[in-house]
Amino acid sequence: MWPRVFEISLGAWLAVSPFVFEYDLDGDRFLWWNSHLCAAAAIAAALASFSPRLERAHAVTVAVGLWLVATGYLFVPFSGPVPPEYQNFVMVGWLLVMFAVLPSRSATPPRAWEDWWRERRRG
Amino acid sequence: MPEILEDKARTPVPALDAVPEPWNYNPSAWPQRVRVSLLAAVGFLVAAYMGLYQLGLIRDVWDPVFGDQTLKVLDSDASHRMSRWMRVGDSLFGSLAYLGDIVFAMAGSTRRWQYRPWLVVLFGIDVIPLGIVSVILVITQGFVVQAWCFLCLVSAAISLGLIFLAYDEVWSSLKFLRRVWVRSGGDLGVWWRVLWGKPHDAAVRAGEDIVKWREH
Repeated sequence: MWPRVFEISLGAWLAVSPFVFEYDLDGDRFLWWNSHLCAAAAIAAALASFSPRLERAHAVTVAVGLWLVATGYLFVPFSGPVPPEYQNFVMVGWLLVMFAVLPSRSATPPRAWEDWWRERRRG
Repeated sequence: MPEILEDKARTPVPALDAVPEPWNYNPSAWPQRVRVSLLAAVGFLVAAYMGLYQLGLIRDVWDPVFGDQTLKVLDSDASHRMSRWMRVGDSLFGSLAYLGDIVFAMAGSTRRWQYRPWLVVLFGIDVIPLGIVSVILVITQGFVVQAWCFLCLVSAAISLGLIFLAYDEVWSSLKFLRRVWVRSGGDLGVWWRVLWGKPHDAAVRAGEDIVKWREH
């Protein structure tokens, strides 16, 4: 489950980012909401993945990560410098994608293979 | 079916420590992958250190050979252009790639070349093409900027070292995927599902084909 633990940690960082980067509350509504909603989604998906029925919930976080990376391209002009808040989004986004593609039980082969072998032995 | 190496408590899948062709060791074994991770961790620290400079968090970068040429490289137009494409400093992006090497090296069983080919392929893409591109970028940057950066060269050397340490596992996985293609009679659907870690007879036979050391 270690990838899920990293996702939760990254989500926590994203949730406190508005305070670390001192977002301007009046001007940066989007930044504020984006940080908190993405953090909530990543943490919720990671926690949900602990339940056997929602094992693959962390796939949601791949989309969240790609969205965070995309914000750096969509909302910042290409010519100028990238503001720290958006650099943070891009970095955290890539990190989330990196972890979120990993399965929760990765030290053993996929469950489908385990079931397959169990079946084959029984038959 | 004999299963000497099977660890029944953890998984019903037999012989996770099998040795795939053309090696005489298992390239997916933990010591192999930990080695990659340790070297990538050094690469990460080197790149992240230069990333701190590009973020403006430190004012100087250590360079015992080329002196302040390092700063010329890190502040060059070539570097800024790459940073603009990646949206973060190019060193920082490099550190991200090294971190990816560690993360992708540490996930998966000791027979992941067969049971999670996608993971080995992803790991291979991060280490090999990305590594080669970064080495080429570092070298061309040196010629374009007319300045050299010691830690950039160290990072390039680490990238090459990582390719050397990691290519064996990627090779076995690709060889396995090729065998799956042959064993399935060229069935793209089967091949695709096996790539993503789904079980199939063709994958078992392909695995047996390239495992040298058999469980008897």
